[in-house]
Amino acid sequence: MNYFLLKQKGLFDTSQTPPRSQKVRRILTNPMFGFILFGVIMIVVGFLAKNKIVIPYSWGSALSLTLSYAIASVGFCLLMGYSGLASLGTGGFIGIGTYSAYYVMNAWGLPFILALALCVTVAIICGMIVGFISLRIEGIYLAILTLGLSEILRFVFQAVKDSISLSSFNLFGVIQISRTNAIYLVAVMFVIIMIITNNIINSPTGRAMLAMKNSTAAAQAMGISLMKYRLLAFVICTVYAALAGTLLMISVGYAKATDAMGFYAMITSLNILAAVVIGGAKSIWGTLVGTFIMYGLQRTLLNQVQFFIDNPVVITFISGILVVLVVMFYPGGLAQLAKELVGKIKKLISKIKAAKYGKDV
Amino acid sequence: MAKMFDKIFSRNKEVAVTKTRQKLMWYKGDLDRLDDEENTRKAGFVTRLQVRSNGKIKNAAFAACDKERYIDDVNTEKLKKFDIKLYMSYRAVNHATYKRLFALKAGKAKEKYNTEDSIWAAHFAALDEVKKKRADYIAKLDGVKKAFLDKYAATDKAAAESAYDAQKLALTAEHDAKIAEYDKKRAAWKEKRKKSLEEKIEKYTAKLDGLLQEVSADRATLPDDTVLSVSGLKMYFGGLKAVDDLTFDVKKGEIFGLIGPNGAGKTTVFNCITRFYNATGGDMLFCNKAGETVDLRRFKVHDVILQGISRTFQNVELVREISVIENLLVASTREIRSNLAVQALGLPVVKREEDILKARAMKILDFMGIATYANWLAMGLPYGILKKIEIARALMADATLIILDEPAAGLNDSETAELSLLIKRIRDEFGVTILLVEHDMKLVMSICDRICAISFGRMLGIGTPAEIQANKAVQEAYLGVDDASGAESEADEKTDGAEEEGEKK
Repeated sequence: MNYFLLKQKGLFDTSQTPPRSQKVRRILTNPMFGFILFGVIMIVVGFLAKNKIVIPYSWGSALSLTLSYAIASVGFCLLMGYSGLASLGTGGFIGIGTYSAYYVMNAWGLPFILALALCVTVAIICGMIVGFISLRIEGIYLAILTLGLSEILRFVFQAVKDSISLSSFNLFGVIQISRTNAIYLVAVMFVIIMIITNNIINSPTGRAMLAMKNSTAAAQAMGISLMKYRLLAFVICTVYAALAGTLLMISVGYAKATDAMGFYAMITSLNILAAVVIGGAKSIWGTLVGTFIMYGLQRTLLNQVQFFIDNPVVITFISGILVVLVVMFYPGGLAQLAKELVGKIKKLISKIKAAKYGKDV
Repeated sequence: MAKMFDKIFSRNKEVAVTKTRQKLMWYKGDLDRLDDEENTRKAGFVTRLQVRSNGKIKNAAFAACDKERYIDDVNTEKLKKFDIKLYMSYRAVNHATYKRLFALKAGKAKEKYNTEDSIWAAHFAALDEVKKKRADYIAKLDGVKKAFLDKYAATDKAAAESAYDAQKLALTAEHDAKIAEYDKKRAAWKEKRKKSLEEKIEKYTAKLDGLLQEVSADRATLPDDTVLSVSGLKMYFGGLKAVDDLTFDVKKGEIFGLIGPNGAGKTTVFNCITRFYNATGGDMLFCNKAGETVDLRRFKVHDVILQGISRTFQNVELVREISVIENLLVASTREIRSNLAVQALGLPVVKREEDILKARAMKILDFMGIATYANWLAMGLPYGILKKIEIARALMADATLIILDEPAAGLNDSETAELSLLIKRIRDEFGVTILLVEHDMKLVMSICDRICAISFGRMLGIGTPAEIQANKAVQEAYLGVDDASGAESEADEKTDGAEEEGEKK
């Protein structure tokens, strides 16, 4: 009797609700799922590395370093790929984060959340200043100017306190975090940043930024205020870089302003620019891969081979060649390459199917 | 953040008026939609309740159901899925046979299949195998059915049915109680929301009134039928007088053309109206969406669109990396309510808002006849379609005056003819006024109600197409001054006449 109810529609009429398989597919195809899965994988890898199961111990710190830098890269990708602005000041902005982390958590002994608040506030102010400047200057001149600003910041840091260090601190005043378990915090922060960035990219704001990049005149005619969106782009980029600085301080534990290869040096800004160019300035995943090539590859995979341990300079050559190749053949970065590969694989599959079953399958 | 930016950077009172009016419109819309939204929310709640109860009552329903029909149905479903799989192997058999037959014809057959008979024998053998697979599966399903029926042979059906009914009744009662509770809660919330909305509306109405009073003192008035009035417009670039003392009015609902030889300053006039250039002198009054006369010189470039002026560009200026429909949404950036924080968190409000705008964009694309390209990337589309997309984007801004900068540039004859029809249709169906610059005289003369001809920044004449064609100054500007005598000038006149005929057509 109620067999029909049981089979077709259930007890009450629920014909509007999608079947379970569709629900699962909707979750799997949601970009959010990819981000969260990535975060979970990172946390698992961090756990394994910390307990030295299968994965070497050094991978934990290497991955947390990469993910921290990746936050700065994602901000830079929003600035360069979406707003069409150039900046070489990432190093200086990272310094804002490291110093607020040091002063709030080490010198004053306050929890992490306050360090975050301070670095975001200072970064917003800095970003606004650069944003205002960007209204007048464009292109390569803007890059030079931000480079100068970054160097000024570095000298300010040097004058304030040359070398700073941070051993352990507490989150919200409860959970203790040190260098060994920094990867968990970094992974969580990175996933949050990825989700927020993805939302911004796909929102009206992201579209407005793209319109501004393509043609300032058309964007203005469509009601997009250049001042608002340029400021916004620089503020987001700066805030991300400062967050990256805070997390770098947590995962590395010390920073030195006079160090030529340190966080605030020009090399950082250039490396992040290279990471974004290699990965693809319009793709979050591509940027992540680019940052991994620049910062993580040597510290994790290549260190398993004796040749690369003996010659650590090789990775610099590799990344340089990659930049050249990408600029010449794949202007969209590795993200474009991956997209083309997926398309080719799909074509191949359909070809194989046609060979087996006939053409119109 | 966005709010803070707005606070810092919108000191302009005219802009404040528009923004306040927009907010007022939003809140009024909220109030109107409150009932509908509550109803959909309640429907969703009831559905969710029922879905959850389905799980609770599933066992009882299973115990009470007709077992034989149940297992039959399950088996049929399984067989259907199996058949889909089998179909693929059936196709593979057919395809293999075709291949072998072709190979035989071409003389490249393998030794095993060198006669037709052998091929067909292999074919039927393979088909038999497929059939046997199906028969085996059916036998297996029969076994499953028998076992299932044996398992539930001893159950008491009447008791199970009554238990099921009792449970269903209990669940329904539970639902009713929950729905009543929900209603009570939501009613209180709705009352509160209504009150707050009404308060907001009151507040913003008062604010708007105050602002209007402040603004009205230095506002001019335009005649009822005039949309745009440009008087004494001057635009000097250093010593160069690009536009000098230009005066014209655009009437409501007309297609107004601006013509002139190259370098006459037509695009400069447009750029002055849309505030890309800050005019050296002169007045530009505009009747905005709310029916008030505003001085365009008080607005920045990006605020002009809120007043109801949208424009296209001479060279197509679309965002090439995003889809056509998203390009249209760019024009409605100022109509989006959710601020940056909401957008960054990806709350469902953003999507809901975008869906409404997308529906509007779809309608416009449909009107333009390019709805099929809605989800294509703008990159790589043909030029004629890109031009149409630009016009669609200008329409998306919900403007009252649309400025077209050389809409027919780069189009062929048939496309131009189509465009002239389209422009007329836009004027009629959207009720907008159109101001256009164009070099294609055929197009201008066929669609414009009135034309203003300029040369070197000065006005030569204004009037209907026929008047302009008869105007001596215009003819001179276009065709040269007829002051020489002799054979050369006669030849000139001949070509002139030919060109004029072309214009008249």
